[in-house]
Amino acid sequence: MADDPFFVGWRGELAGPTRRGLLAAGAGLVAGAGALGLGLGAAAPHPGPGVWDQGRKVAVTGTIYPEPYLHLLTEDLGNGLRPVFLVGAGKDRISVRPALTFTGAAVTGTLIQRGEHAMMAVEGIYPDPAPGRLRPGPETDLGDAVMTGEILDAKCWFGAMRPGHGKTHKACAALCARGGLPLAFGETGRCGDGKAALLFLNERGRAFGPGVWPLVADPVMVRGRIFEVAGLRQVRVKLADVTRL
Amino acid sequence: MAAGYVIVGWNRFKRAYDGVLLAGLAAFLAAHAGAGILLAPAGQHPSEVQLLIRASGAAAFSLLTIILCIGPLARLTPRVLPVLYNRRHLGVACFAAALVHGGLVVLWYHGFSEVNAFVSLLISNPRYGSFGGFPFESLGALALLILFVMAATSHDFWNHVLGPRLWKWIHMSVYAAYGLLVGHVMLGAVQGEKGLAQAALAGGSALLVAGLHIVAGQLERRRDRAVDGPPEGEGWLDAGPAEAIPDGRAVILVPPMGERIAVFRDGAKVYAVANACRHQGGPLGEGRILDGCIVCPWHGFQYRPEDGCSPPPFTEKIPTYRTRITGGWVFVEPSPQPPGTPIAPSIAGEAG
Repeated sequence: MADDPFFVGWRGELAGPTRRGLLAAGAGLVAGAGALGLGLGAAAPHPGPGVWDQGRKVAVTGTIYPEPYLHLLTEDLGNGLRPVFLVGAGKDRISVRPALTFTGAAVTGTLIQRGEHAMMAVEGIYPDPAPGRLRPGPETDLGDAVMTGEILDAKCWFGAMRPGHGKTHKACAALCARGGLPLAFGETGRCGDGKAALLFLNERGRAFGPGVWPLVADPVMVRGRIFEVAGLRQVRVKLADVTRL
Repeated sequence: MAAGYVIVGWNRFKRAYDGVLLAGLAAFLAAHAGAGILLAPAGQHPSEVQLLIRASGAAAFSLLTIILCIGPLARLTPRVLPVLYNRRHLGVACFAAALVHGGLVVLWYHGFSEVNAFVSLLISNPRYGSFGGFPFESLGALALLILFVMAATSHDFWNHVLGPRLWKWIHMSVYAAYGLLVGHVMLGAVQGEKGLAQAALAGGSALLVAGLHIVAGQLERRRDRAVDGPPEGEGWLDAGPAEAIPDGRAVILVPPMGERIAVFRDGAKVYAVANACRHQGGPLGEGRILDGCIVCPWHGFQYRPEDGCSPPPFTEKIPTYRTRITGGWVFVEPSPQPPGTPIAPSIAGEAG
């Protein structure tokens, strides 16, 4: 029966040609699976250079401002005065005692950084008179702009997730927006290249409400005005001037 | 079912089959994730969880494509039958990969928030009326649900409890699951950053599966027509000359009404039974007679040709048909006898 090519599985024996064929097919299948995985993995897009080193705790001092998103204005990270957005470990905003705002404070936690953008997953906030009250300085009006791109949840795009943009990330971005985390705007084609994103604010320079939630992570065109505050660019847009493409 | 009429346990072939399956799956996942890390610019690779999400999703889709190719390929060449024998192991592995993919997506993208992850699934993207914005995740979730039902009922215990017809119907929903997955991958690729290459790959896989099924179907129809002669005067079906039926094998008849009929010759004896195996509907007529029993080519289920009963202790039964031989020509009564009805064989060479 060993040379009978008819296969009966429960016998547990295979005809010689069948056995040799299956051995070759099995080896080919494993090699093919590896090659297919390699090809598909190589073709996947790269998410950009954002980093969240959760093993490295840091302490940063500066002045906490609650608007437009909770942030610490600091000089500790180099490049002069710059904002570091303050968030929790998850997808919801954190609250801070009013007594700790507009005055010197030390914040401990882990840094989420992408290029010149920085955010902190906060573990503790303490009074610290050393830095004094740092002020953002005057805002610079850089004029009107029309841009196409994507409304990003800044935490993920800064490096909390890699990739932290695009359609597959929409559900996460929607949760982050709902949770009150900072939103940013990335121009088309630049979401993954690590270049600057703009803080995304309403026409009054404040955080958006629920109206913007459905639009995050979708391709959109925005018509607004660009400002620079404490080295960070913002685009201020009326919700009606955000058009889904 | 086994030659000694005992329940089959694990044998060398099954172990080797699963060894190759696991090695292939491991090679795929390692290569996919490894390429994602090693080929990315320094410090720019996706996070480990997202690498696993991508790799497990691609593995599940690739496995399901392979699974759906095995059936028609086994109709085209019996060399593929050994792969079909344990195809359910591939199905369970496919479900496991899909579960890892879906579970991590729910945890990663919908978790870590005050909003319940399953509520988030429903509210994160409600644009069901839009093609460009359609929440492609929902197609994947539906497919995962189908794959779960199939994996949970894959054991023969459920075939026995549910009955072969319902069991088969449930497991034919694999085509719906595949359609949903093709939509999930293509829509996600078109909407997302992965571009048209991935969509083309998914579409190409679907075309391959569809093409193989069409070719196998055409081949079967050609085979059917070749033996489907005009009915004899009393309505009996013409199965051709007895000596044209290979010894120990069958020809398959398609009656004008009803199911296909397998007409076997075992030496001088000619028998006719239903072509569909009681187990999973396998084509008995493509099997053969071994040790006096008809053996299904798919999973080796056995039936005695004279009464359509599985040998004890098994209890499966299939319908039998009356036959007669006139002038060396085999004729089959088109209406089946109840499953397990003994029918005396016609004897080739006797005066008709």
